[in-house]
Amino acid sequence: MKLDSASLVSQLESLLGKDLVRSDATALESYSHDATPIFQGLPEVIVAPKTTADVVKIVNFARQTSTPIIARGAGSNLCAATVPLSGGIVMSMANMKKILEVSKSEMLAVVQPGVTNLDLDQLVEKDGMRFIPDPGSRSVSTIGGNVATSAGGLRGLKYGTTKNYILGLEAVLGTGELIRTGGRLVKDVAGYDVTRLLVGSEGTLAVFTEITVALAPRPSTSKYGVAYFDDLSCAAIAVEKIISHGIMPSTLEFLDNTCITAVEEFAHLGLDTGAGALLLFGDDGEGESVSLTVNKMAEIVKESAGGRGVSLAQDVAAAEALLYARRCSLPALARLGSLSILEDIAVPRPKMAHVVTAIEGIGAKHNLRIGTFGHAGDGNLHPTIVVDKDNAAEVKRAELALSEIFHLAIAAGGTITGEHGVGSAKLPYLQELLGETNMQLQRSIKHVFDPDNILNPNRLGS
Amino acid sequence: MIEKFTQSKLDRCISCGYCLPACPTYQLTGAEESSPRGRITLMRAVQEGRLPIVDLLPEAGFCLGCRACEPVCPAGVEYGTLLEEMRDMAWQGKNRPLIIRGLFIAVQSKIGMWALGFLSPTAKNRKANPELNLMLGCFERRLFPSVSRTVAKLDTNISVCKEQSCCGALHAHNGELEKGRQMAQKLGEELTGTIITTAGGCAAHLSDVIGRDRVREFSQWWSQNEGKLEKIKKSGRTLRIGLQDSCHLRNGLGVFKEPREILKQLGDYVEVPDAGGCCGAAGSYSLLQRKNSRKVISKKIQDIKELNLDYLVTLNPGCTRQLVSQLRRARVKTKVIHLAELIDLSL
Repeated sequence: MKLDSASLVSQLESLLGKDLVRSDATALESYSHDATPIFQGLPEVIVAPKTTADVVKIVNFARQTSTPIIARGAGSNLCAATVPLSGGIVMSMANMKKILEVSKSEMLAVVQPGVTNLDLDQLVEKDGMRFIPDPGSRSVSTIGGNVATSAGGLRGLKYGTTKNYILGLEAVLGTGELIRTGGRLVKDVAGYDVTRLLVGSEGTLAVFTEITVALAPRPSTSKYGVAYFDDLSCAAIAVEKIISHGIMPSTLEFLDNTCITAVEEFAHLGLDTGAGALLLFGDDGEGESVSLTVNKMAEIVKESAGGRGVSLAQDVAAAEALLYARRCSLPALARLGSLSILEDIAVPRPKMAHVVTAIEGIGAKHNLRIGTFGHAGDGNLHPTIVVDKDNAAEVKRAELALSEIFHLAIAAGGTITGEHGVGSAKLPYLQELLGETNMQLQRSIKHVFDPDNILNPNRLGS
Repeated sequence: MIEKFTQSKLDRCISCGYCLPACPTYQLTGAEESSPRGRITLMRAVQEGRLPIVDLLPEAGFCLGCRACEPVCPAGVEYGTLLEEMRDMAWQGKNRPLIIRGLFIAVQSKIGMWALGFLSPTAKNRKANPELNLMLGCFERRLFPSVSRTVAKLDTNISVCKEQSCCGALHAHNGELEKGRQMAQKLGEELTGTIITTAGGCAAHLSDVIGRDRVREFSQWWSQNEGKLEKIKKSGRTLRIGLQDSCHLRNGLGVFKEPREILKQLGDYVEVPDAGGCCGAAGSYSLLQRKNSRKVISKKIQDIKELNLDYLVTLNPGCTRQLVSQLRRARVKTKVIHLAELIDLSL
């Protein structure tokens, strides 16, 4: 039986205690957004469970009352996956932020979903270990959120992304049942790989209550270099050459001229603003091998077409400045207008040179400022359209351009999202990418996990 | 009173949430509305007419105003200014806390300032370099008069004029933005040349209004000196010294290396965990939000206790008051001292 908002609040209060339930206008308003622009929707109530038992209670309650639930970590996702467009309950995982166990001998950690990436990484650093997934938002984004979106980051090419580091999950299904999948094992092929299915499920199949992650040894050395090119496609070709030489470095990031200029104006790092593209390359590991790899990359890049010079960072400070240039691309771009729409396509590397040129064409055609940066080694591009939010015509042109960029990616054999997720922002393009049969399969899977369609409804599979 | 938030300042925020881990109130509650990003969402709702400004009263009061969110913001959001605007709009008429009204009355009149300084042994009137003037502060002259006396002793070039008004930081931070700016202007006219202040909060506000080139916070100013200081010994042992940053000095003016460099000369400098994090004094906050103020400082008190420091150095009178009272409450023996007074001990 569906409840009105007031009864929803009062019943949840008696179920969980008043401390864990909030429904004042300011609380509801503040949870009406995540980090995605434009999308907004008011929830009816916010709950912040402290234990797995609380989560079970909430899901059961939601099922009985047909109330949507959106599980939310830090709300730093960029695909409107946690905007409560259907009202209902926002379940904040902020109170479940304990690191339950770190095992050095097994190279793993067991955490609650509200732990941030940075907190875990800093804790295991003491033991010479590292938590690999490093989305740009790592200081704020939670591991629950990583799992929900299978978050990527700057280390994808060499080390993989979140999906490669989740060993086991404890989760509450839409039926209110608690399951455990996977565990602590390196090898385990008993049954379907439900763990992997839940990774990237965007809160539509289950709510994670405990996550077992694999850790990696922390490399002792890292080195970086920077190269400039006439344009982004030349940089893309250089990236392909590096990898064709059998080198899989930890860092291959690039920015176009719009980004370089914006970053330079913002951060004054001494970047070459006359260049069409900047390629940041680097590697990490042990001893001399790192220098050898980075020097080899510098050589390859030097020989590559459209190059405008290569230099290696001589010290940590110089390397930090280069990494910072990459990390601050988005905020630097965002300063150029009142609304920035950040996209996240990924394409096969051999198509990347073509795709970046085509994106420039789309920007010119619609008279839009598009800055493109991205994880060049992964073929993962973040074209960012910066507009004036009050200029309706410009916003409209941006929507058209976005749609063309998605079609471009799909036509190139790529995807509409490499690491940010589908959420509500990219749902309209999912069917085109996956096709009807696959979409039907997704819907069937959703139905098995969440027969009453209460978990993040109207998103993946529903 | 202002009518609206500055739209361009609201637009700066891209809602990335990088401010969340830096925010002491978000760390206490885990509630989005108690984070800088959440509060900006609320300000936008007010701007767009979805929420009345009175709905923001709880958050206008709960926010410390420490501005720890500013250095970590990749988009350069001027949260401190937005908060001042929020309080300017929210704390009008009966919605302004009584304590604030009382404090305003104390510092905005000549007689009030005279009363604060009356019989208080601050630095004495002195005509020295007319281009170098010591600011006495409002409550600092009453609560910690020895600080100005010590600074005057440390450098005889500094002029002191006791007839000076309040810099208006109190007003600006508590819902009287325009008045706060006018007061800073006035003080800038009363005191010529460079103004030396021993309060980080005043330094940041004054710099904002009359320009950074005219204001030097004490540690900033002292660090221009070339001479090296001697280590302070106590029965043959070098002192263990920690620091509590002043939030606005660190987050607003970016001054935090200077005091550390000075302290390294004076003794065994120990970095207190989260020394840059707010101590919960936050201007009038410790009076208005006693409970929350104590929650904010509780971990810090434990940390200081465990470090077994001889001195904890402060750069702002509000922090001094808060740390003195809270350390005493927890029976921690560490002495709280302004940087100027510790330098004086070494000479």
